[in-house]
Amino acid sequence: MNNIRNFCIIAHIDHGKSTLADRLLEKTGTITEREMQAQVLDDMDLERERGITIKSHAIRMDYKRPNGETYIFNLIDTPGHVDFAYEVSRALKACEGALLIVDAAQGIEAQTISNLYQAIDQNLEIVPVLNKIDLPGADPEGISQQIVDLIGCEPDEILKVSGKTGEGVEELMEAIVERIPGPKREAEKPLRALIFDSIFNTYRGSIAYVRVMEGTLRKGDSIYFMETQIDEYDAEEIGYLKLKKEPTDKLEAGEVGYVIGSVKSLQDARVGDTITHSKNRATEPIPGYKEVKPMVFSGIYPTNAEDFEDLRGALEKLQLNDASLQYQPETSKALGFGFRTGFLGLLHMEIVQERLDREFNMDIITTVPNVKYEVVVSHKGEEFKKLVDNPSEMPDAGKVETVFEPYIKASIITPADYIGPIMKLCQDRRGVYINQLFMQNNRVEIIYELPMAEVVFDFYDKLKSGTRGYASLDYEFIEYRKGDLVRLDILLNGEPVDALSSITHRDKAYEQGRKICGKLKELIPRQQYEVAVQAAIGSRVIARDTIRALKKDVTAKCYGGDITRKRKLIEKQKEGKKRMKQVGSVDIPQEAFLAVLSMDEDDR
Amino acid sequence: MSGIYLHIPFCKQACSYCDFYFVTRQEIRKDFVNRICEEIDRYAATRYSEEPVKTIYLGGGTPSLLEVGEIERIFIHIEKVFRLEPEEITMEINPDDVTVDYLKGLRSLGIDRASMGIQSFDADRLIFMNRAHTPDEARFSLEVLSRAGFRIFTTDLIYGNPGQETEELEADIDQLLAFDPPHISAYALTIEPRTRLGKQVELGRLNPADDDLVSDHIDLLNEKLSANGIYRYEVSNYSKPGFEAVHNGSYWRHENYLGFGPSSHSFWWDDEKGASRWKSENNINLYLSEPFEELYMEKENLPMDELGEERLFLGLRTSAGVSLDELHNRYDYQLSARQREWISQKKDEGLLQFDKQIIALTGDGVKIADHLIVELLTRK
Repeated sequence: MNNIRNFCIIAHIDHGKSTLADRLLEKTGTITEREMQAQVLDDMDLERERGITIKSHAIRMDYKRPNGETYIFNLIDTPGHVDFAYEVSRALKACEGALLIVDAAQGIEAQTISNLYQAIDQNLEIVPVLNKIDLPGADPEGISQQIVDLIGCEPDEILKVSGKTGEGVEELMEAIVERIPGPKREAEKPLRALIFDSIFNTYRGSIAYVRVMEGTLRKGDSIYFMETQIDEYDAEEIGYLKLKKEPTDKLEAGEVGYVIGSVKSLQDARVGDTITHSKNRATEPIPGYKEVKPMVFSGIYPTNAEDFEDLRGALEKLQLNDASLQYQPETSKALGFGFRTGFLGLLHMEIVQERLDREFNMDIITTVPNVKYEVVVSHKGEEFKKLVDNPSEMPDAGKVETVFEPYIKASIITPADYIGPIMKLCQDRRGVYINQLFMQNNRVEIIYELPMAEVVFDFYDKLKSGTRGYASLDYEFIEYRKGDLVRLDILLNGEPVDALSSITHRDKAYEQGRKICGKLKELIPRQQYEVAVQAAIGSRVIARDTIRALKKDVTAKCYGGDITRKRKLIEKQKEGKKRMKQVGSVDIPQEAFLAVLSMDEDDR
Repeated sequence: MSGIYLHIPFCKQACSYCDFYFVTRQEIRKDFVNRICEEIDRYAATRYSEEPVKTIYLGGGTPSLLEVGEIERIFIHIEKVFRLEPEEITMEINPDDVTVDYLKGLRSLGIDRASMGIQSFDADRLIFMNRAHTPDEARFSLEVLSRAGFRIFTTDLIYGNPGQETEELEADIDQLLAFDPPHISAYALTIEPRTRLGKQVELGRLNPADDDLVSDHIDLLNEKLSANGIYRYEVSNYSKPGFEAVHNGSYWRHENYLGFGPSSHSFWWDDEKGASRWKSENNINLYLSEPFEELYMEKENLPMDELGEERLFLGLRTSAGVSLDELHNRYDYQLSARQREWISQKKDEGLLQFDKQIIALTGDGVKIADHLIVELLTRK
C-alpha cells in the first residue's frame, strides 16, 4: 500500500492557508491545542506579524482514516509572494498534489493563478478548496464558478471548508488520500533527493529539507551535491519533520525529511540542488535548478561609521539563513563604507532591513532601490559592456552608447471597475499593453510588459491604493531591452551626493528632478547657512531649490523648574542629529536618502 | 540657600497655549491649602530645612485665585519649617484678579515682586489666547501696582503668534514700556501638543508663525527694550540691570529648590556625586488623597556629567554664559577637543563669545541656541 501523500497549499495571502494548516495539524494529532501557537508554520516573528509566509517549511502528519488505515501526510508550505517564485517552484516539485485554497469571499488572485499554473505544469493533482465559508460575505456559488473556469473541474469536486470552525476538514483529509496520488517508490534506483528548502542552524550547519525522488538515503551515507558539485559531506543525521525533528535511519523514495551533515553554509546546500550518493551517483540532477539572482539592489550603510563591521557581521548571519541575500562592500562619498545589497524583490528588501533593525539592532541608512542595468560603454573607440547595479556607477552620458534595462511581464487581476486606473498606472510607468482576459465575477486579468525599474519601488502600493486593495500582481522577468536612460545627480551646495543619484528615463528626468529637489527641501532641516539643492544630468542643472538658512531655533520656555523636560527635548534632538549624515557641511536625515520613494501619488 | 516653589493649580479657564497643570474647580481650594500646608510641614527638621530659604515663588495655575488669608496660612507653615532669609518673593498675578486691596494684602505678607500675566494688550489677541482678562484690566492692573506698594514687577508678553504682524507687537511693547517695567518675560509662542492651539495645528486649522517672522519679532524686542535700558539676560527674560529674577535664575544655576503642590518640581544636591530631581504627580485628586510618598514620581538621580551638560546648555541660554572653570570645578566637566574646535569656529562666525574661560552666545547665537547647543553637545 502506498500510504504517503505529499502536497502543498496554494493560496493568496489572507486566504486562510495557515489557519487551515493548523486544523490539519490538530486533527491529525500532530500538535495538541496547548502547543498551538497561532499559525505554527510561520515561525519567524516578522512572518507572523505580516501574516505572510516568507520561507517554505514542511511538516509530517499521521492521518488515521475512519476505516482504520494510516496515512502519512507531508505538507510542504510555500511562500506567498512574488519575490519567492523560485522557492515555490521547488516546493511544488516535491509534491504530487496541491490544495488550491480560495477565500470564499474574495476569489482568486494573481499570485494564486501563477502558482497554480506552475503546479499544473508540474502535473500536480489539484484539490480545489473553498475556504472561509463561515464568513458572512462568502459567495460560494460565484467563487466556485471561478475555480471551475480556471481548472476545469466539476463544481461538486470543490470542497467547502472553514479553517476557523473546522467544518469540512475531515472531508478534506479523505480527499487528500483519495485524489492525490501516492509518490513513486523507486527505492532501488540511484539516490536523487531534491532540496526544496534549507535553513541554517548555528550548531549544526545547514539543514536541508529534502524530498527523496528516487533511491534510499541512509544515515551516515556520503553524499554529493550535484549542482554545486560538492563532495565532502556525510548525512550525519536524517529524519522526519514532525513538530520537532525526528531522527530515523533511512529516507526512501517518496519520503520527505531533513538531512544534517555539518554543511558549513547555505551556499553549499542550495534550494533546488539534488543530493545523491558520493559513490553510485545518479546520472542527472533533478531538472529546474536555478541560481537565484537578485533583482533589486540598494546600498545599506551604518548610520555610525564605526558600526561597519557590526553591519557586516549582521549581513553574514542573515545570509546564513537566506541564501538569496547577496552583498558586497562599497563606498559612497556621502555615506562612507557600506554594502551594495541584492534582493529578490522589494518585499525581500524590506524584510532584510527590518531584520537588521529588529534582530541586530542596526541603525542603517538605505539608498533608493534600483535594478541592474547593462550599459554599453565606448572608451577610446572601443565598446564594452558593463553591469551597473549602483546608479553612481553609471558612466557619464558622453561615454554611454546604450543602456539596457530589465523588463518584466506583469499579470494584474482586478475587478473590472479598476481597469482604467490600472492602465493609467501602467502607461505612466512606461508599460507596454499586451492583452486582457475577462474572467468570471466581473474580473479581468490585465497583462503588461513593464520596465522592472518602474515596478520595484512603489508600483505595488499604488496598484493597491488605486484599486482599494482589490488588485493583485504577479510578475516574471522576461528580457533586457534598450531604454533612453540617464543618470540624475543631486547636488547639495554644488557637491554631488552620490547616494542620491538615480537612473531614470530621459522623458521623466525633469519632473523627477524637480520633485526630488522639492522633497529634499522638505526633508532636510534648515541649517545655519542656506543650502542649494540641484538636480543635474551630467553638468546640466535641470532643477533647483533652496533650503533657507535657519533664523530662529530656540525654545522660549525653560518650563520653570522642570529642567528635565528641556533636557529630554535636547536629548531627542541630539539623537536626531546623530542619525543624520553629514555631507560636506550639510546634515541630511536618513529619510532623505529615500526621498524618491516618499513622493506622493500625484507627485510622480 | 534654597528656593521654594508653590504650584497653585487653579484657573478660571484654559489659556489656548498653556500646558501647565491646572483645574477649574475652585471648591476644593480650602482642601488644597490644608494639604499644601501639610506637605510643607513634612520637611520640618530634615536636611532640606537646614538651608536658609532665599526665594519663594508662587506659580500656577493662577495663584491670584487664592485669598490673602489662604496665602498667609501657607506662609505661616513655611516660616515654621524653614529659616527665611528672603531676597525675593514672587507671585504670579492675573490682571482680572487685581484690586488695590488685594495687592496691598499680598504686599503685607512680604510678597515683593509681582509677575503680571499680561501677555498682550490686544483685545483680539487676548481672545485668541483665551485669557480671562481684557486690555483695560491689563492696563489697570499695571497702573495700581505702585499704588499698592509693588516697586518690583515683571510682565509676561507673548510674541510670535500666528498671524501677528510686527506692528501689533510693536504696539504691545509700547504700551508695556509706558509702565516702566523693571523686568519683562517675553516668550515666543510655543505650540505644545496638548493644548487647544496644538489641536488646531494638528487639524490643519492653524499655522504656526514662520520662523523668519519670529526672528524679526526678536530683533524688534531687543531693539526697543534695550533702547529703554531693558536688556536681555536670558532667552526669554529682559530686565534693567540689577532686576534679574533671582528665583528663576536659581533653576539655571542648579541651586537647591523644593516644589510644593501638584506637578511641582524639586531639585536638591545629594553630595559630590550628583543631585536629585523629582516631580509630584499632576493630579489634584491624588494630591489631596494619597500619601505624599506616593506622589513623588520620576525621581531622577542626576550624575555629574549630566549635570555638567545641563549647566552648559542652561548657561548658554543666558547672557552671562557659562564658565569653563565652573564646569570643571563644580561638575568635573571638560570640553572635548572637538568641542573646543567648534567653539573657536562659532566664535569666528560671530555666534558666540569666548573670553576669560567664559562662553556666551551672541545675540545672533541666542536666536538659534537650540541648534548650537545640540551641535556642541553632539561633539562631546
